[in-house]
Amino acid sequence: MHFKIRPAKKEDCKEISRLIMELAVYENMPDQVKIAHEELERDGFGENPFFQCLVAEVPEEHKSKEGFTVVGYALYFYTYSTWKGRSIFLEDLYVMPEFRGNGIGKGLLCKVAEVGKKKECVRLQLSVLDWNTPSRDFYAAKGAQDLTVSEGWHAIRFDGPSLDNLAKEAAKI
Amino acid sequence: MDFSIRAANVEDCKDIARMIVELADYEKVTDHVKITQRDLEQDGFSKNPFFHGIIAEVPEQLRTKDGHTKVGYALYFYSYSSWAGRAIYMEDLYVMPEFRGKGIGKALMSKVAQLGLAAGCNQLNFTVLDWNKSSRDFYMSQGCCDVTTSMGYHCMRCEGEALQHLAQP
Repeated sequence: MHFKIRPAKKEDCKEISRLIMELAVYENMPDQVKIAHEELERDGFGENPFFQCLVAEVPEEHKSKEGFTVVGYALYFYTYSTWKGRSIFLEDLYVMPEFRGNGIGKGLLCKVAEVGKKKECVRLQLSVLDWNTPSRDFYAAKGAQDLTVSEGWHAIRFDGPSLDNLAKEAAKI
Repeated sequence: MDFSIRAANVEDCKDIARMIVELADYEKVTDHVKITQRDLEQDGFSKNPFFHGIIAEVPEQLRTKDGHTKVGYALYFYSYSSWAGRAIYMEDLYVMPEFRGKGIGKALMSKVAQLGLAAGCNQLNFTVLDWNKSSRDFYMSQGCCDVTTSMGYHCMRCEGEALQHLAQP
């Protein structure tokens, strides 16, 4: 199937927002999505963007049942390892179900790796849910190591009231 | 104990590099550290920095045996959750052993949280090793959530040859 991968533009944010919701539904957590296209436009396309995004597009004649030509995306940002240096984090990778099996997911992943290489990044990192076997297999096949299994790393988060309480303590310093 | 927390500047990179190695020693992986003071200067203090740092300092009279007054640091950068929006990621949090138990670690982490909220962030994320009980207990006591245990997230990495292969056009 013919497809193109290109950097996202501000005008793509409505499509990206739609795909973010589809991914959240797949991950059984649609109620966790709190942001919409307005936040993506502000945070990804301003002077100091918080993230970068690539979209996968198919020509009109291959559009989806509902008429979409933007059928996949990869959302990423630059990070830093105090051991190894510049790194890239792949926050989301998603392809609409009817377009899978055509190399689009691999194309997006490879493009992110290529972008990272140009910026001299030495690591590409991401997280995946333990039950998501197709995705775990996909990444393992590309040479990704599962650091939670092999080294015991756990992802920790503060948000909502716990984040507010933590921040309040800083005022006492 | 009297201490202060401030934003790191380029002159702090020598001490940050020293403490990065101390933290790697603690995590039993000293040989994993490949970056140098020069890399930190370039990557953290140029036009589009890859990270930001904060330093914990004590007054001269409390300096270490080796004469150090910079006794702790936190290194962070801004990240993004496609569900929650702007986020802040704390890559490192470290306090020299002789200065622990005085609230310095907590103060550093709180400062990162405060900076995150000021920038409109909704999450503070980081990782911890499963065997690192004292750190895990410390974080849990501050009210965080272990999303590996509770939600099943696994941390994945591609590097070296696998990454080179992926990056080929």
